[in-house]
Amino acid sequence: MPMNPRVLVVDDDAALSEMIGIVLQSENLEPVFCYEGTTALEAFRSHQPDLVLLDLMLPGIDGIEVCRLIRAESGVPIIMLTAKSDTTDVVSGLEAGADDYIAKPFKPKELVARIRARLRRHEEPETERLLIGDLEIDVAGHRVMRGDEVINLTPLEFDLMVALARKPWQVFSREVLLEQVWGYRHQADTRLVNVHVQRLRAKVEKDPENPEVVVTVRGVGYRAGAPPAG
Amino acid sequence: MAERAAAPWRDRLGRALRTTGRRLRARTRVLARAWRRSLRVRVSVTTVAVGLIALVTLGAALSGQVRDSLYDRRVTEVLTDAAVRAEVAQNAFDSSNVSRLQDVQQLLYDVGGSLVTTSGAEGVLLLRSPGQEGQYPEVSPDDLRRLIEDDLREQVREQDMQMWQPVGIPAAGGVEPGIAVGTAVTLPLAGEYELYFVYSLGEQQATLALLQRVLTAGAVALVALLLVMTWYLTKQVLTPVQQAANTARRLADGLLDERMTVRGVDELAVLARSFNEMAESLQEQIERLGHLSQMQQQFVSDVSHELRTPLTTIRMASEVLNAARADFGPTAARSAELLATQLDRFESLLADLLEISRFDAGAATLDVEQADIRDVVGRVVELTAPLAEQRGSQITPRVPREPVLVDMDGRRVERVLRNLLVNAVEHGEGEPIEVLVGADDRAVSVVVRDHGIGMTATEAEHVFDRFWRADPARARTLGGTGLGLAISLEDARLHGGTLEAWGSPGEGASFRLTLPRRAGIVVTSHPLALRPPRLEPDPTEHVDPAGPHALPDDFMAEVPE
Repeated sequence: MPMNPRVLVVDDDAALSEMIGIVLQSENLEPVFCYEGTTALEAFRSHQPDLVLLDLMLPGIDGIEVCRLIRAESGVPIIMLTAKSDTTDVVSGLEAGADDYIAKPFKPKELVARIRARLRRHEEPETERLLIGDLEIDVAGHRVMRGDEVINLTPLEFDLMVALARKPWQVFSREVLLEQVWGYRHQADTRLVNVHVQRLRAKVEKDPENPEVVVTVRGVGYRAGAPPAG
Repeated sequence: MAERAAAPWRDRLGRALRTTGRRLRARTRVLARAWRRSLRVRVSVTTVAVGLIALVTLGAALSGQVRDSLYDRRVTEVLTDAAVRAEVAQNAFDSSNVSRLQDVQQLLYDVGGSLVTTSGAEGVLLLRSPGQEGQYPEVSPDDLRRLIEDDLREQVREQDMQMWQPVGIPAAGGVEPGIAVGTAVTLPLAGEYELYFVYSLGEQQATLALLQRVLTAGAVALVALLLVMTWYLTKQVLTPVQQAANTARRLADGLLDERMTVRGVDELAVLARSFNEMAESLQEQIERLGHLSQMQQQFVSDVSHELRTPLTTIRMASEVLNAARADFGPTAARSAELLATQLDRFESLLADLLEISRFDAGAATLDVEQADIRDVVGRVVELTAPLAEQRGSQITPRVPREPVLVDMDGRRVERVLRNLLVNAVEHGEGEPIEVLVGADDRAVSVVVRDHGIGMTATEAEHVFDRFWRADPARARTLGGTGLGLAISLEDARLHGGTLEAWGSPGEGASFRLTLPRRAGIVVTSHPLALRPPRLEPDPTEHVDPAGPHALPDDFMAEVPE
């Protein structure tokens, strides 16, 4: 029997943390807790969670900084919990590397759905190799290569690349990408897509100002860059 | 024939006159505009006009005075001269010894010649008085003879004294003023003669002309000086005023640090100092208000965070309880259910309150993107349709065939339309509901029309008030917070648009959202009418919420089926 996925809950509100714990346990997820920003990285290292739920406002180091620290050493899925759905907070959290966010107050079902969506892994046994721009994607090996150089991507960024590369002829709207990569449709917040495309470009493009891998189609969305001729 | 031939010519003349008229009117307008808009032009023109009138009056009086005095002196001089010469002549005649006609002729020429050379006169005439016997010669140069009028001759003969008359002497290049003086003389043998001297006033005329030229030149120089002075002085006074105006404009644009430069201690410096004091006090007030608003914003944000975290816990706990209510007894189960549904209500109320306080704090911002409003309408109609079906209403959208691109915050516009549609469903009594979209170059209108219970004009004035209910006894069946329309109005205003309501009891209600197509356009007209057609205006209505643009005849304009 496989082990239950472990979720690190970083929130200073003990009641909320406990409540989240109850909900997660009822969904066969194993919660571990951390109540302040300063010890969050330590807790992350010791528990090795499969996913992090991170409150944006924390005593000590704030959530955005914690997010940046975790992201610096891991591609683990991070979902922010935020009381402010104001643009600036959400965007700065996403830019710090969070994969998704959920605004308080949320329903248990909503929370679980987001967590499941992030935990869901593509289980394709076939060795699939995709080309996007001058990059090669090894889907089974979860690797993206430029020539011999391996480019480190978070699972979310990897999924985004694969979704684009599988259908290079298609232009993906932000809504479609949200559904395919983030795995949910309601309350479409296209800022998620914008920020993550930017982060992805920063890693894979030779010149992020003139993207060749993830190409913007004005007024529609994004599509995969064509592999170089020959 | 002639008439017809003249016609094209007359047309041309008419056209030319009209063109000239237009040009003249245009020029007049430009001048009138300059007059109205520039204090400097007004002051300068007035000063120059008054100066000019004063100078002309003065010049005219002065030159008149000089002319009269020159004339009088010359006349006295001329009369004295003429009297002396006439006496000399009479003496010469008296002492001469003539016996024949030839002698008389000789005498006339001698005396006449000597008179011309001795006197300062232009010429001398010796005319024989009419009505005497015999033929005797006269001294009468042709050019001067015409100047002596019969009137004068008659007077000379009758009065038997020196008489005179002003005349115009022909001269090179015109006529110069002169005086003819006549005296009766008696010649031996020949009898009564009249002796005339013609004197010129040319010299006086030249003097006067010189004087007038000098005066004119002086006046022109003075007026020019006056103009320059006025221009300079008004500049002195108006430059600080102009500066004050510019500074005020920059202050109004939000550059609160803008101040006037204070120079010296005169009245203008006082103006500048008072202006700066005013700006200072304004800046303080504005900064204080800005600070307050910032505190308010911070407070709202804090309340938001502080409330939301416990609310999340309560909410999750309630959901867990609600999901497990099958295991509870009936009382506990119903309580869990009520807790869950009322938490939903509490949550939307909190969300709406926070949204309203964001508007009040001026913290609401637009996230503008160009989008097709037909998509938004389609989405909202799709979302509201199930609710409408429950109530037995059918929603019919009527949108143009062409895309209607608008600069808008899609989230806010969607919220407004959702509010309007849910509101229409709630009060629609199961009757059909129409959503109409109309657009022109500058604006786009969306009208949501129901045929339900409607409302009175007074109610229509209040529907956007916070927590307002048309009938306090009526419950909000669809769980509205009472803030939906108030928020919608703020959303519309944030876009620079309008949101208006119309209603008539029993006939239904109509709400119209109008947004500018591009950011910055001022909405002055609405592509769609707020009121439905074929309805007489209610005579008891005091305020027409539709405004003057909402004429029924363009209802449904540009909305293909």
